[in-house]
Order: sequence, then C-alpha cells, then structure tokens
Amino acid sequence: MKPDLMNADPHERARLIIALSGTAGLSSAEPSHAKESWLAAHLESCASCRAFAENSRETIRALRGIPITASGRLVVTTQMRVRQRAAELRRQQERFWVICVCCAAVTLSTAVSTALLWRGFAWLGHQARLSTPVWEGGFVVFYLTPAVLVGIFLLARGTFLADHNGSFQD
Amino acid sequence: MNATACYFVSAMADENTDIARGLRRRDPELLDRLIEQYQHRLLRYLVYLSGRRDLAEDFFQETWVHVLERGGQYDGRHEFSTWLFTIARHLVIDHLRRKRPTSLDSLADQDDLAPFDIPAAGQPSAFDATVQREQNEQISAGMQHIAAEYRETLLLRFQEGMSLEEIASVIGAPLGTVKSRIYRGLSALEPWVKGARL
Repeated sequence: MKPDLMNADPHERARLIIALSGTAGLSSAEPSHAKESWLAAHLESCASCRAFAENSRETIRALRGIPITASGRLVVTTQMRVRQRAAELRRQQERFWVICVCCAAVTLSTAVSTALLWRGFAWLGHQARLSTPVWEGGFVVFYLTPAVLVGIFLLARGTFLADHNGSFQD
Repeated sequence: MNATACYFVSAMADENTDIARGLRRRDPELLDRLIEQYQHRLLRYLVYLSGRRDLAEDFFQETWVHVLERGGQYDGRHEFSTWLFTIARHLVIDHLRRKRPTSLDSLADQDDLAPFDIPAAGQPSAFDATVQREQNEQISAGMQHIAAEYRETLLLRFQEGMSLEEIASVIGAPLGTVKSRIYRGLSALEPWVKGARL
C-alpha cells in the first residue's frame, strides 16, 4: 500500500507527485525539475489528473482557510491549571527531599545506636548472668517492637481510611 | 543565502535548547509563553483529531499539564511543536483506549460528532466570503468523514506546514505511510471538493 513513484502507473505517479508537492515551500516534497516536467507533460494529456490537481489545490487552500482559534478564556484557564500543577509538583519535590534527608538521618542514627545498644545489652546480660541467646533475644524484641507497633498502627489507619473514604486517593 | 539559512537553523536550535532548559526547570513564564504561542495550532490539531471542540479543549489543557510534568523528556534536538503534537496525539489515543479498546481509526466512524465549528472568515467581498465559507464548510464536512489517520496527516501537512519527516515523527509511522496517507486523504476529500463546486 506504500506509494512507490518508480513503479506506479502514470496516473498514480502523477497524483502522488501532486499530493506531495501540493504545497510549494514545504521543503522536502517539492518535485525535482525532471518530475516537474514529466508531471506538466502528463497533465497536458490527462484530464482526470488535471482535475485531481485542481481539487487538491482547492482542498489545500480550503484547509488553510478554516480558522479554528483558541479562546482567551481557554488559554487563561490552561495557564492557571498549569501553574497550579507546577506548584503542586514543587511541593511534592520539597516533601521528597525532606523524606530523603529523614531517611539518611535515620540510617545514620540506626547504624550508631545499634552498635551502642548491642554493647549495652551485652553488658546487662553479663551483669545479670544471662545466657547469650537470652539477652540477644531481648535485644531483638527491644529493637523490633517500635517498628512492629508503628507498622500495625499505620496498617490499621490505612484500613480505616480505605473503609471510610473508598480509597487512599480520595 | 546559505549563511542566512544557517543563521535561522542555528537560531531555531538555540530556541529549542532554551525551551528544553526551561521545561526541565518547569519555568512557569516559559510555559505561559508557549501556551500562548501554540494555542491555535494545538487546538486546531486536537479539534480535527477528536472531532469535537469541547473534547479538544479538555485535551488542550491536559496536553499542557503533560508538557509540564514530562518537560524533562524534551531534549531540544527536535522541534518543540513535533514533541507537543506527539503528546497531544497520545493523550487522544489513550482517551479512546480507555473508553473502548480501539485506535485512532475509530474516530472516523463517530456519527454523533457535531460538525466542526467553522466561524466565518473575514474576506474582501460578501460574495467571495460566502463562496469561500461554503467551500470551507464542505471540505470541513469531508474532513469529518474521512479516516482519522488521513485527517490528521492532512492537517499536519497543510495546516501546520510540517515536513514529511516531522509528521512521521509525530504519528510514529514510516515516511512512506505518511506520503500514502496524504495522497489517499486528498483523494478521499475529492467528492467533497467537487460537491463544493456544484
């Protein structure tokens, strides 16, 4: 179905050239001199292609003459909407950076406090003459309990919000 | 002559680079300017693509929000208008897919579309204006009836004045397909042009 100028029959070839060069000044599709001469000769002898050329010219002129313009209201509304969205994205970006900084701070403090806490539990276990697995178990429970509690709280809150609002997005 | 051409090409490349830089920064002033600059071209494209002015106005706003959100993806190496029209096109296709699994072709089958809103153009004489307006209406009606893919290609070519390569980039099709669509689109419009002459 692709147009092939070399193999097309003369009428189709002529119409392709007309269609693709119907707009003088539109760069790459302008016919070469050889094509132009061939087309001129063909149009001299072919009434139907001449009619096609005339129709195409009128179509192109009409297409260019159909004015569809955007209203000022549409432009202003769009500009406002874009600005609102830009502000939203800026806020999101700022929140993202705050979260990133918080994550970095938490990671750093966890790394430091874990080592200290581990030594503290070891010392306490030693003082209380507990076996190693016992104070290690205590350490794990102490270490994980806050995270588990916060997780349960957030899950419950999320379920509550979903039940009452339909979804988180709302 | 060549120096002048080089100057313009270089100026356009600079402009595209500036736009790309501004879009990465989400510069609101730049976006305001671009919305004003491309308002008529984009709306015209969307009206022809969607076939409805009200829908086109929604897509118009949505397109600029997408431009804002995805501004970082524009590299400035291509024409901004090509990138803009590609975004608009994808939005329309996505909208149609959400409504029902389909392609751009289905736009040609919509019987419930209101005719394109063609305001009267100011012309030298009343007679010329009437004739011209009637002809425009006929061809506009024809545009509504031909396949959406032809309509889109004709619009990009003859109203927007895009090169064949730019059209290929916007519609994501090979150059041969673009040529074929222009040819077939003009052929499909022939009955309406003849009708306008009667």
